[in-house]
Amino acid sequence: MMKNFSTKLLCVGVLLLLAGAPEVMAAVRDTNLYWAPEAVTVTGKRIDVLLNFIFYLTGAVFVLTQAVYIYYLVKYRKRPGSKAHYSHGNNKLEIIWTAIPTAIFIGLVIYSNRLWGEIHSAPPENSVKVDVVSYQFGWDMRYPGADGKLGKIDVNTYSVDNKFGLVPDDPAGDDDFASTELVIPVGQPVHLYLHSRDVIHSVYVPAFRLYQAAVPGRTIAWVWFETTKTGDFQLACSQICGSGHYNMKAPIRVVTQEEFDKWQAGKIAAKAQEAKAAAAARETRQSTAALDPATGSARNSAGEKL
Amino acid sequence: MSTSATTFVPDQGTADHDHGHHGPQGFFFTYIWSVDHKMIGLQYLWTSFFFLLLGGLLAMGIRFQLAYPGTEVPLIGMLLPSTVASDGIILPGGYNMLFTMHATVMVFLVVMPLLIGGFGNFLIPLKIGAGDMAFPTLNAMSYWLYVLSGLIILASFFVDGGAASSGWTAYAPLSSTAAYNNNTQIGQSLWCIGLFVNGLSSIAGATNYITTIVNMRAPGMTMFRLPLSVWSLFITSWLLILAVPVLSAAAAMLFTDLNFGTTFFNAQQGQPLLWQHLFWFFGHPEVYIMILPAMGLVSEILPVFARKPIFGYKAMVWAMVAIGFLGFIVWGHHMFVSGMNLTLGAMFSVSTMVIAVPSAIKTFNWMGTVWRGSISFTTPMLFALAFVSMFVIGGLSGIFMASTPVDLFVHNSYFIVAHIHYVLFGGSLFGAFAAIYFWYPKMFGRMMNETLGKIHFFATFVFFNLTFFPMHNLGLGGMMRRIADPTLYDHLRALQPLNVFVTWAAFGMGLATFIFLYNFIWSLRHGKKAGNNPWDSTTLEWTVPSPPGHGNFEKTPTVYNGPYEYSVPGMAKDFLPQDEKAPDGARLAAH
Amino acid sequence: MSTATLAAHDETHVPPRTAIFGMTIFLASEAMLFAGLIGGYIVLRLSSAAWPPDPTSPHLPVVLTGINTVFLISSSFTYHAAEVAVKKGKSGLGWLFLTLLLGGTFLGIQAYEWTHLYHEGLWFNKGGAFGSSFFVLTGFHGLHVAMGVLMILVAFFRQLGGAYTAQNHTYLILTGMYWHFVDVVWVFLFTVLYLI
Ligand code: HEA
Ligand code: HEA
Ligand code: CUA
Ligand SMILES: [Cu+2]
Repeated sequence: MMKNFSTKLLCVGVLLLLAGAPEVMAAVRDTNLYWAPEAVTVTGKRIDVLLNFIFYLTGAVFVLTQAVYIYYLVKYRKRPGSKAHYSHGNNKLEIIWTAIPTAIFIGLVIYSNRLWGEIHSAPPENSVKVDVVSYQFGWDMRYPGADGKLGKIDVNTYSVDNKFGLVPDDPAGDDDFASTELVIPVGQPVHLYLHSRDVIHSVYVPAFRLYQAAVPGRTIAWVWFETTKTGDFQLACSQICGSGHYNMKAPIRVVTQEEFDKWQAGKIAAKAQEAKAAAAARETRQSTAALDPATGSARNSAGEKL
Repeated sequence: MSTSATTFVPDQGTADHDHGHHGPQGFFFTYIWSVDHKMIGLQYLWTSFFFLLLGGLLAMGIRFQLAYPGTEVPLIGMLLPSTVASDGIILPGGYNMLFTMHATVMVFLVVMPLLIGGFGNFLIPLKIGAGDMAFPTLNAMSYWLYVLSGLIILASFFVDGGAASSGWTAYAPLSSTAAYNNNTQIGQSLWCIGLFVNGLSSIAGATNYITTIVNMRAPGMTMFRLPLSVWSLFITSWLLILAVPVLSAAAAMLFTDLNFGTTFFNAQQGQPLLWQHLFWFFGHPEVYIMILPAMGLVSEILPVFARKPIFGYKAMVWAMVAIGFLGFIVWGHHMFVSGMNLTLGAMFSVSTMVIAVPSAIKTFNWMGTVWRGSISFTTPMLFALAFVSMFVIGGLSGIFMASTPVDLFVHNSYFIVAHIHYVLFGGSLFGAFAAIYFWYPKMFGRMMNETLGKIHFFATFVFFNLTFFPMHNLGLGGMMRRIADPTLYDHLRALQPLNVFVTWAAFGMGLATFIFLYNFIWSLRHGKKAGNNPWDSTTLEWTVPSPPGHGNFEKTPTVYNGPYEYSVPGMAKDFLPQDEKAPDGARLAAH
Repeated sequence: MSTATLAAHDETHVPPRTAIFGMTIFLASEAMLFAGLIGGYIVLRLSSAAWPPDPTSPHLPVVLTGINTVFLISSSFTYHAAEVAVKKGKSGLGWLFLTLLLGGTFLGIQAYEWTHLYHEGLWFNKGGAFGSSFFVLTGFHGLHVAMGVLMILVAFFRQLGGAYTAQNHTYLILTGMYWHFVDVVWVFLFTVLYLI
């Protein structure tokens, strides 16, 4: 009697859970509260498929194991006169429950690593390139100028005057313009070059399903993604980097191509203005000092090709 | 591992009292510099309780700050060191100290000493039928080195610049260059020294355990008659021997980077990622170091209260051996997105999935153990049963992170924090609580109060889940770990109510801990008297008085059976102690 | 009770077999310590464009240290000879003394080398990863040698009082294991730091 009842109760409970979970999840997802924010990159959406797959897989494993477990605990609780069954185990069972998880894990790891490879495939040629330089506690972004090329940099020459570590003798760098916000055109591949001037930071954008650490002394050049939706986001540093870590963030604006072009044109024009003024200043300086030994040595250092 | 009963060394001071381990008597030698493994075990236990309170208090500080950033900490705000708080308000840099020291304290000064130092010392000789550890003096030294490391780490709160604040993982060059980190040079250096000393303690202990287990088993106690707790401590000890020195080496390099101007980990002349590789080469085995003993202890408790042999004894042993080996080749799963080579990451993902298999085997065998048992729900059993469920939750969240693309999303988010606490609190500490309730009678001769125990269990269980389960959601919602003020981010403001909820649940869990402490202390004098074997258990420690006397055994026991002979058909009583010959008619089965 | 008497207490009650076993385990962990240090060094060296990274760094005195290596290795043999002597019932004091002398010489030459390199411009904080790893690695090893010399010194003075007999000399065996281990580590260090 008791046994029957508890079995039924459990079955109903399990069914309810299985039936209810997707509804609840959907409701929660609609509000974007207490579940992942909507993914707005192509790869992000694919990661979500995998994430959901693992969620249902592990969810099923959890529900099944716990249901069986609790069922046993109820059914085999000590009662007057009950006696435990004497058994040291069962080799067949051992093999089954070794083999099945192994098979699942092999499948999962193949799926995962294939997606991992695709996410990190070579970025398309036409990507918008952005050099993202992190520091305590913020970011400097650098976009290529009219030539569409980012100037070479040397990760060992970051300084107050040269906050991008540009190699002076690469003309491609002359027209690169700086920005403190990350502005990207929707639907276009965006290729980030990650740098750090001091400690390890990271770029983390939950809605992009994107995380990558920026290591000082190195260029991380494999991050690229394509957004699917315009909107405002926040770039957050999610690698502890000191006392200002908690507040290291920068705005991200995903805009339409037109808006992006407009923004870019404005930046390029401003940069040209700036360059002209700088050139003028340099001329006056050169007429006073023939050679500045400090910049002279900087020229010798090997530029790192991005 | 064929050192069997025949090589038993009788020179253990068990029966031969004329030159046994009678250290000098008196208060100092009994309670302070004791060389008796039981007293050392208890010393570890008490000391780790102290640090549990400290680590818990730091966690409360973390939780308060996350729920009410920028608010004065009530009651103790004004007492906080100036590096942590000003005007009672926690500083961002101070917050970094809180979680760094919280984790350092919990990992190195609570879980390891409690499970390995406490139960390892107390149980190993008793369970294998030995009079003491192989090296009693080394044992005492190991304990005092632990205390010393604790004091060093404690002291770092009060030095110039404050305590280490680069996370318990101390990623360089933040940790190795004081100028980058609020000049916490002294604090971080003390952290290095503290971990170095703590490592010496661990190595001394582990050397002792391995030697004892291999050489001092009673006659008849073959390796495959060892209780699983002893097996787990044996494997854990190997992990300590092989993993901890690598942390010591890394800590030494970090120390010289900080103080002698070496450049191991700096970006220009060294390799920042080298630190991470060294740390995680240690760090991953470390997490198994913290879970294996708990697994062993739980494997001991489930059969007793299910009145059934453990299911698949050998599978359990081999699963632990496999975890031990594989644990050394998965460290890179902490570094998928660190800038490490991407293909290497994919390979570490494979090994990480593989290492989940032995954990699966263990889980299913625990379930097999309760299957067709006759289960009584005592407090230790409740904790042991909950251990299995909580470990499954923590393990399953590990699967998310082991999948490289998903880790791209959840890395360094509260999803990880949820994982950490499910495996370390829901796993290691639930296991430790189960073990404390279970072996308390052997340690002190009295039972702990069952009613209080059950209240403690249910309160902890409920509040634990209320605290840590929502952290999965926080993580998926995009909340970064190690940030002092989530309300500064647009996408996190909507989640703030959840943070407040978690904080209050954590306070509840904190209060539940006091029920436990009260019970522990109250029962010392008022608990019901326990006989030799209050749980009708089979292993050797239950054949001697509670608490056991000096030298443990009146006369060296001889072992005839495996450790889990419960409900043997054809026997009058439902358990067969390891040192009793099976009576006629008992139908023992091989495992 | 001093540590020494405690050690003596232990020593008389731990069967030699067990003590040797324990020492082996301990040495395994010591090996991992050096594996960590040497591993770090190898990573730094392989990831550096040039080695030494600073071309002006002084060269290591390979010949002098080569000779020093011979001293250290010989000390393993002299120590072994001491053990053999004790096993035969002799005092072995001469061999122990010789071992001490060789160990001390090794340390002395190391100290000389350190000061020499310091004046040449190589130090913990000079010469980049090269200076860092050279001094930390040889420093760690040097500390181990010093520790070994101390242990042998203790053995020597105890043996002056005739502490060890052919049957009972566990301490000598343990110290020997440690000493040989430190030697082997040096062979590795010498190879990776000086030779390749
Ligand atoms: C006791 C400690 C402990 C234990 C046992 C584990 C166990 C596991 N851990 Fe965890 N881990 C930590 C402590 C622990 N971990 C800590 C402290 C960190 C953070 C460190 C820091 O950064 O501060 C961490 C971080 C961490 C990461 C890094 C995440 C990141 O930083 O991005 C990863 C990634 O792979 C991971 C994976 C795993 C896996 C796969 C297991 C597996 O061993 C789990 C296996 C168990 C199961 C899977 C459940 C039972 C099995 C079944 C019921 C069978 C069927 C299942 C299926 C078919 C799915 N852990
Ligand atoms: C065994 C390990 C262990 C244990 C037991 C715990 C226990 C707890 N941990 Fe911790 N934790 C870690 C290991 C552990 N933790 C690790 C490794 C990290 C990563 C650190 C890093 O990022 O570097 C971490 C990080 C971590 C964070 C993330 C911080 C951040 O990233 O910003 C948080 C946040 O909530 C947290 C909370 C808690 C809480 C509430 C408890 C509670 O369970 C504590 C319960 C215990 C008590 C409460 C003790 C008794 C109570 C008192 C003495 C106080 C009484 C006062 C009141 C009730 C007000 N822990
Ligand atoms: Cu930059 Cu955190
Ligand atoms: Cu790990």
